[in-house]
Order: sequence, then C-alpha cells, then structure tokens
Amino acid sequence: MSQDDLNKRIAKAQAEIDARERPRYMGTGKGMGLGFRMASDFAAAVIVGVILGLGIDALFKVSPWGVIVCLLLGFVAGVRNVVATAMKANQAPETGPEAGKATKGEGDSA
Amino acid sequence: MMVSTDPMHQFKIEKLFDLKLGDLDISFTTSAMWMVIGVLLLIGFLAWATSKMSTVPSRAQSLAEIWYGFIAGIVKDVNHAPGKPYIPLVFSLFSFIFVANIIGMMPYFFTTTSHIAVTGFMAIFTISLVVVVGLMKKGLGFFKIFVPSGVPVVLLFIVTPIEIISFLSRPISLGMRLFANMLGGHVALKVFAGFVPSLAVALGGVGMLMGGLLVMPLIVGVTALEFLVAFLQAYVFAMLTCVYLNDALGEAH
Repeated sequence: MSQDDLNKRIAKAQAEIDARERPRYMGTGKGMGLGFRMASDFAAAVIVGVILGLGIDALFKVSPWGVIVCLLLGFVAGVRNVVATAMKANQAPETGPEAGKATKGEGDSA
Repeated sequence: MMVSTDPMHQFKIEKLFDLKLGDLDISFTTSAMWMVIGVLLLIGFLAWATSKMSTVPSRAQSLAEIWYGFIAGIVKDVNHAPGKPYIPLVFSLFSFIFVANIIGMMPYFFTTTSHIAVTGFMAIFTISLVVVVGLMKKGLGFFKIFVPSGVPVVLLFIVTPIEIISFLSRPISLGMRLFANMLGGHVALKVFAGFVPSLAVALGGVGMLMGGLLVMPLIVGVTALEFLVAFLQAYVFAMLTCVYLNDALGEAH
C-alpha cells in the first residue's frame, strides 16, 4: 500500500470524525462567550455614543445636546448589537452544509 | 502586609532597562519581556512539534494539528472560502492571546493581556484591517454596511448614525472585553486569596479554619474558571475577528 493511499484514507476518516465530533467541541463555551460578547457590545456602544457626543459638543458648541442625542443613539446601537448577536446565534445552524467537509488544510504550510 | 494583599500591585509595569528613540521612551519593560517569552514559547513549541512531521502524528504534532484545525475550522465556518488567506492571522491572534492568558495564570508571572494598551492595539489593528480589506475588495461599496438595504429613506437618518456608532463600538468592545476579563479575574483571585490571611489575623485560629475550609475551595474554583476564561477570551477574539472580516469579504447581509 502506497503512502498516498494511506493519506487519502486518513483524510477520509478525519472528515468523518470531524462531521461527528466538531459540532460538539465547537459548542464548548459558546454560551459563555456569547454572554461576554453581548455585555461588552452593549457597554461599548454607549461609551462610543458619549465620546461622540462630547466631541460634537466641543466642536460645535451645542452643549448639552450632542451628548444627549448621541447617548440615546448609543443606547439604541447597543441594543441593536445585542439583538443582532442574539438573532444570529439563534438561527446559526449547528450542522450546516459545511460540517461534512474536512477541516484540516492538508496541503497547507501551517 | 499591605503590599502583599494589594490586588493592583501585580499589574505594575517596571522598566528592565532604559531605551530611548529620540524623545520616545521605548524602554524594555516587564510587559514586553513576558510578551517576548510568550511568543518564543509559542514558536518554540510549534517548531518542535512540527519538526518531525509524519503521517501518523506524534503527540506534539497531534496537538499542533488540533490547535491549527480548531482555528481553521472557525475561519471556514464563518468566512467560508474567501477567509482562507486570513487563517494565519487569526491563528496568530488566537495563539498569542491564549499563551499570554495562560502565562498570566502562573504565580509570579505577568499578564500582558491585562493591559488595555496591548488588547486595544490588537483590536484597533483588527478593525483597521477590516476597513482596509473592505476598501480594497469593494471600494466605496464597503460603506454600504452603514446603509442597510430595505429601509425607508426617512428612517435612514436615524439608522445610519446607529450603524456608525455600532461599527465604532467594535474595537472598543473587542479590546475592552479581553482587558476587563483578565484584569477582573486576577483582581478577584487576589482579593479572595487575601481573605485567608485577613481572616486568620482578625479571628485567630477560628479565622484560619474558616479561611481554609470556606475560602480555599472558592479560590480553587475561581482559578479553574479563570483557566476557562483564558481560553474563552482568546476564542471570542478570534471568532469576532472572523465575524468582522465577513463584513469586508462576505456577501451583503
């Protein structure tokens, strides 16, 4: 049996293992990671809103309207971030059409 | 006593030796030293693990392959085929953060990722890359991500600023999350650990017993949680890099 033949068999077996195992180990800690993401995405949008508002106030001398408007927009953007993340997480297929593919870049120089 | 229980003491950066570049202070600090150590460890391990490649992998080679396969899997799941050139980048980011976090878990070692200068730079670099790649691939069409399709023109005056704020919040969220988690975790560990001597000093023998029986298991638990967070933060950073790259590479969403 040639080396090439063995390589092909390993790639095939690997693809089968991946299809079976990957949804499981890719799911590890996904929920916690999602939680971290939502929390900081929301906070970051509010912070950006405040910074933008202060900048607009300083530039155009419209204090305090820049901060008020941009803070509200920041809150909306934060909620939008969280909702977008949650929606994507809900509709993400655990085993899509990609799941059956081999994941190893066999010929890649890693 | 005060110094040993001060939770912020561990984050102090000290100069190892002075370096000047014109007026710029580029002294070699403890933070820089631990970054260099982390990168050397990483390169050393991967070079050693892949030095004797064989079809039937050794343990080290197997570990390196799983490591690479994990990241390649994320990139292929999120970005599909156009993401392939970015696997090395995401792999480097993930590996650096992961190794830095794990180094930080060792006693007396320094956590480079607990400084916003480090995480913030990585976040800004990632977002700049997304913008540059987006402009190169799509030209000015890249800015369509700020104008969602199918929205009435009147609403665009509200929706576009929101989208812009949402985009600007990405580097802050990306850098702040990693920094805050590492900082917070280490402070929490130090504070909990400080309970043991504090109880012993305040209550004598009873305090020592309470510290040993109640607080020590808690510290062990939090330490385990911190190891999970160390991995998870690296994973989240890598995955978000892919998600954001999708804006530059992918089809309209």
